[in-house]
Order: sequence, then C-alpha cells, then structure tokens
Amino acid sequence: MNELLERLQRHFDVNNINVLKPGMTTLKIGKDSAEILIRELRDREGYTHLNFITCIDYIEDGIFTLVYMLHNYDSKHTLGVHVDIDREHEEMTSIHTLWAQAWTYQRELREMYGINFPGSPRLDEDFCLEGWDQIPPMRREFDTRVFSEERFGHREGRHSEVPRVHMKMELYPKRGGDEE
Amino acid sequence: MNLRDLLSPFFVWQRAFEKPYTSIRPTIDRPGAPAYRGFHINVSEECVGCGSCHSICQNHAIDMVPAAEFEGRTGDSGLRPRFDYGRCCWCGLCVDICTAASLRMSNEYAWISEDPDEFHFTAGVDDKPWQNNEHGYRRAEGYHLYPPKRIEMDMLSPDESVQSFEEVARGYSEAQAKLEADRCVECGICVATCPAHMDVPDYIHSIRDGDYEKGLQLMYRTNPFPATCGRICTRRCESVCPVGILGEPVAIRWLKRFIVDQVDAKDYPRILNDQIIESGHRVAIIGAGPGGLSAAYYLRKKGHAVTVFEAGETAGGMLRYGVPSYRLPDADLDKDIAYIVSLGVDIRYNTRIGKDIDFEQLLQDYAAVFLSTGLSVPSNMRIQGEDHARVLSGLQVLADVASGRDPGIGSRVAVIGGGNVAMDAARVSRRLGAEVTILYRRRIADMPADEEEIHESQEEGCNIVPQAIPVEIIAADKPQQVSIKWGEAEMVQDPTGGRPRPVLQEDRMHTDTYDCIISAIGQGSDLDFLSKENQQQLAIEWGKFTPGEYQQSALQKVFVGGDVANRTADAISAIEDGHHAARGIERLLNPDGFTATQTDNTGEPA
Repeated sequence: MNELLERLQRHFDVNNINVLKPGMTTLKIGKDSAEILIRELRDREGYTHLNFITCIDYIEDGIFTLVYMLHNYDSKHTLGVHVDIDREHEEMTSIHTLWAQAWTYQRELREMYGINFPGSPRLDEDFCLEGWDQIPPMRREFDTRVFSEERFGHREGRHSEVPRVHMKMELYPKRGGDEE
Repeated sequence: MNLRDLLSPFFVWQRAFEKPYTSIRPTIDRPGAPAYRGFHINVSEECVGCGSCHSICQNHAIDMVPAAEFEGRTGDSGLRPRFDYGRCCWCGLCVDICTAASLRMSNEYAWISEDPDEFHFTAGVDDKPWQNNEHGYRRAEGYHLYPPKRIEMDMLSPDESVQSFEEVARGYSEAQAKLEADRCVECGICVATCPAHMDVPDYIHSIRDGDYEKGLQLMYRTNPFPATCGRICTRRCESVCPVGILGEPVAIRWLKRFIVDQVDAKDYPRILNDQIIESGHRVAIIGAGPGGLSAAYYLRKKGHAVTVFEAGETAGGMLRYGVPSYRLPDADLDKDIAYIVSLGVDIRYNTRIGKDIDFEQLLQDYAAVFLSTGLSVPSNMRIQGEDHARVLSGLQVLADVASGRDPGIGSRVAVIGGGNVAMDAARVSRRLGAEVTILYRRRIADMPADEEEIHESQEEGCNIVPQAIPVEIIAADKPQQVSIKWGEAEMVQDPTGGRPRPVLQEDRMHTDTYDCIISAIGQGSDLDFLSKENQQQLAIEWGKFTPGEYQQSALQKVFVGGDVANRTADAISAIEDGHHAARGIERLLNPDGFTATQTDNTGEPA
C-alpha cells in the first residue's frame, strides 16, 4: 500500500491521504489530473473496478467533492479518489470511456447536483426525477421543506404545539417574560 | 383503429379455459431487512417531547400533540410526536436527531386500510402492532447530528487557583461559544425548569447570530443579574437539557456569561433602552440582595419610585458576602447592580429596619413593601462547647474575606458541613494558606453542595472526611487553638423509605486539634426587626414566609421573596420572586391592568 502511494506521489500531486480502515484509503487530487490518475490506477495498479461515483456538497467552502470509489480485486483494497470542483463551475471530465457504467452515475450526478460531464451519453435525460422543474435537489441551497410545503397536500385538522409554549400554558401561565 | 383492435379483447376470452401459465401461491409475509426504515416506534417513557423530530422533518410530517399521561413531568413537555404518513418519506432524520434516542423505526412496512385518515398516529401512544418490534432502523452507535460533549471551559489549574482570588473559570472565546451554542436543539424544555423562565433558546440563538445585544435584551426580560447568574447559577436548566440525555447538557450558564462578557456596561442604557414614565407610586424594598434588586428593577420599569433599605454597607446580599470572588468577581456583580441602580433606584445603606426605621413606618409611607432579607443567621451545631472563641461561622469567614478583613483562621482549619457555604469557606481558607479538613455527616454523594464545587474543593487540596459527626468542642492547650471530638458514622437505611441516616459509632471516636473550626451547616432567617404583632400578621412560621399568589404575604401590601420565602434558596429563585412580586405589586397599584402611562417611546404597550 505504501509503495503504491509512493509511486503515485512521484507522478501525481496527491494529498490528504487518509486511511479510513484496513483495506480502505482515500486521497485527494486536483481536478485536471484526476482522469489521468484514475486511468493509471485502472491500467497499471489493478484498480479495475469502479464501485461508484458520488458527490458531497460543501456549500460553505464553495465546492463539490466528487468521490470515485475504485477497487483492486487482487489486493482487496478500495481506494477513494476525491476531487474538488468549483460549485460555480460545476463541470468534470467524463470517465465513461474508462468504465461504461460511469455514465449512469454521471447522469445521476447531473440530475441531483447539476454537475456537467461533457460528452457523457444521455446526460440530460431524466434519471429518477421525472418532470423535475426545480434546482437539483441534492444541492444544499435546495429548501426541501419549502418545496414539500408547496408541492404536497395538507391533511385537514392537523395541529402542532410548541413544547415551550405548551409548558408555559400548562405550568406557569403568569410567569416568565412579559409579552410586549 | 382497425378491426383487430376492436375484436382483440374477445380473442383473449378464448384463453380463459386453457391451463394457466401462472399458479396461485400462498402469500408469504416477508419481513423487512433488519435495519429497514419501516413504521415509527416511539418509547414514550423515554421521550421528553422536545420536538426535535418535528423541527428537523423536511416534509412537515410530524406534529407535537399533548399526551395526557406525560403532562407535568419535570423536563418533559407532555407532548409526543404524531406522524402523518401522507407526507412522511421515511428518510430517518427524526430518528437521527432524537435527543433521547426514543424514536426508532420498525421493519414493518405493510399497513392496509381504505380510510386514508388512518395513516395518522401518535407513535408510542396509539396502540400499533409494531411498537415492540425489535428490528428496523436505529441510529448507529456513536452517530450524532450534534457533538455529544460540551466545549470544555478553560479553568485555572488547582495549583494556580489556590494562589489567589482570581476567577477560576476563564470564559469561552467567541469560537468556543458558537460551537457550544450549535449544540442547542432549541426545544425550550429548560425554560419551564428555570425558576425565572429565562428565554434560553432565544439567547443561545443570538450567539449563533453573533447578536449579543439582542442576547442581552432577551436576558433582561426575566433576569437583571445575567453577569452573576452566568457564573454562579445553580443551573437547573442544564439538569433537564435533552441534549444531556445521551451526552452532556448544553453549557447554558457559560453561554449566558459569554453574552454578558461581550457587552460593555456603558452600552447597557442604549441597548436595553428602559424608558421610565413615573407612576407616582412609592414602593419600599427591604434587603438589597438579588431578590430585592430584581424587584427594584421590574418596579422601576413600571415607573414606581423604589427605595431599598439595606442593613449592610454594599448591595448584593449573599452574592456579595457569601459567594467568593474567585467564583463571582466583584466587578461582574457590580455590572449587574450598577445598571439596576442607574434606573433611579434609591438604596439606603447601613439602614436597618426596626432600628433606624420602623417597619410600621414603611407600611404607612409606601404603597407596597417587598421584603427579601435572606437567611443571615448561621445555624448552631447544637453540640457542647460550640461557643468557643475559635469556632467561627462560615458566613462570617466569607463576609470578612469579601470585605477585605482578615478572618483570622490560622493555618489548620476544620470546616463542618457539606453545602455550598462549607465548600466556599474551605476553598477560601485554602487561598488564605490553611490546610483544610471538611467533616460531613453523610456520604460525599449526599452533600447538598454543587457537584462542581465539591470536585474543585478536592482538587484544590481540601480533605473531605465523610460520615464524620461532630460530638463536642473542647478547649485546646493553647488559647488560639480548639479541639473537636467527632465520631465515625455508619449509614443506616430508613425503613420508611427516607434517605439513609448516619448513626454515630461510639467506639470509633477521634479528637483533633485545629487553629479554628468553621461551622457551615446551614442558616436561618433574622426577622427580629418585625414586632411580634407584625410577625403574626405576616403568618411567619419557623422563621419563613409562605407567600401566596404573586409572592403576596398575609398582609395585602407586603410581598415577600428570596431565601426567606422559598425552599430552593438560590439566587435565580430570589430573582424570580422579585420579578413576580413586582408583577403582584403592579396589580395591586394598578388593579385595572396596564394603564395608559405604561407605554414606551414607541407608543407600544410596555
């Protein structure tokens, strides 16, 4: 494992190496070298399987972190390649030429986060969300509560109490801060 | 459309008599996976009704509804979550946030009814077959949406702290305060438990927003002693904080202190903007402790002229004389008091009712009287020889130190008692350089003192000897010393179910000699300033008042509060007594409710 990382570090600017547990390591690589690194891992280092691609929205930092999870069947080792991309320019090189199934993940990421993968097949077809007309729902600026309030029906006769107000009414109606 | 399309349904019928390709098999109940997110389970006994599930639900699928059998429990809102399965998406956030981990999911997923209104139920209250299901989604061990541990307060090390009277707790930095504030789920369960019902979630929210002026305004709604309470409050709020069920409660007291520490005293008038329109009524207050000054503050806000009669030479009462400055620096107590006084409260120092002015005179001269004289007389140990000159009272030692006098304790001291006064007297003695032994009748776990104080006194090198019963005080060989005879005690269970009783073991007696013995086993009231007749009119029993609604005594125009009128005998209760009495006095003086004069400069009712 260390030898692999040494080899990678000789040719790539990988950082944030993090051993999550035995058999699972993550590392970070810049957006422009990511596709070459992943190709190297597949063709020369035995990481022949793409487990999945996913994304984390770090809205506070203005980035999406893409996670490419790769597996080596010989060493039974899983390697997570993390790639930060700018939230404002949410575009990434497609890897469907490396693994055909990648386009399905990329289609999902397009729908859920709005990330563009130029050249990825059927990228803009509906995936899970048929007829979706809002911003992509996994982007953290999407307000699920407002959406559900507006979109879904309301059952008659529902009523909710605020714990603090209920307790004041039941236990100390004449005390506490005077209402102004 | 062609002819074949029209006829094809009839061609299908010809197959009705053929052998079917499919076969009917009995329905098999297939249980959901062990961690399936099925129908909700709530262990209502463990739930405290904090409503975090309701707040986090993105689909507005959860209502908090009253559940009669849980009303009135301490630290429990009496509400329980009711689920609308027309809106639930089974995301499980409600399970993940649940402060008590009482909310779970079963792996049951089949529920069939033709009535859509049936899919609406109060989990754990309405009887459902999956309530005791052992499978389904649970929050993973160690997984929390907020950190379970509180942000540690920076403290002086015990080696440093015994060197001086410098404040031990150093206060949060802004970054620390914001992290700690983020742990609050803003349920507001604590508000009911706080004797003053402070707006805790709101002022904690003001820290999240970085709006400390708003925080200060919120605190003064219910408590004009926030700098003080932010340091020494008994913080019963924290004992019911739902975040404390699975982790450590939110450090409410330290957050309160943080807000006050961010605001300069000179900005108080601008921020609090207390506009006073004189009512023409005069109210007398006896005692300038937290109760008396709290009443003074809220009475001034209603425009009444307030005169406070204080026997001592400074204001603050037990906060000044009973709480050492390493827990409550004078500057912080003064910050609170100065603002109250700045509203035009007249404090007459060194003025003792019954000696300098008669109580009857107050009744004649003032429209109402608030009496809050506290507990100032140390209780006797009721053992032989305790009038020895080297037996000092804990209160006297603390008052001497607070006033800058040398209490003359010597270098080896025994403190008798297990309350906060005993701990304070012991820790003060350590700071004066003495070697300290604390003798307490029961076990350390039984001590009425704040756990933190017990812990810190031990850290500072006080030697606590539990189950030690004082028997006799004996003159020592040297006049500046004194001996105490004490016996070991065994704890004996009370057959009637009361707390275990210490029983003296006659065969295990000890006699030790000290430079002084500090007795701190409790204190009583001093109501001798009232005539026998007044005492009768005020229905005083065992040196205490039993106030009625709005802290009113048996005499219509006399209101009472603080340690002399409540059982909890802490600052925050006294502050609430003062606030509530001010409300009562306002009702007495303005029986028609809020009058036209009760407006501030915005024209809104105050």
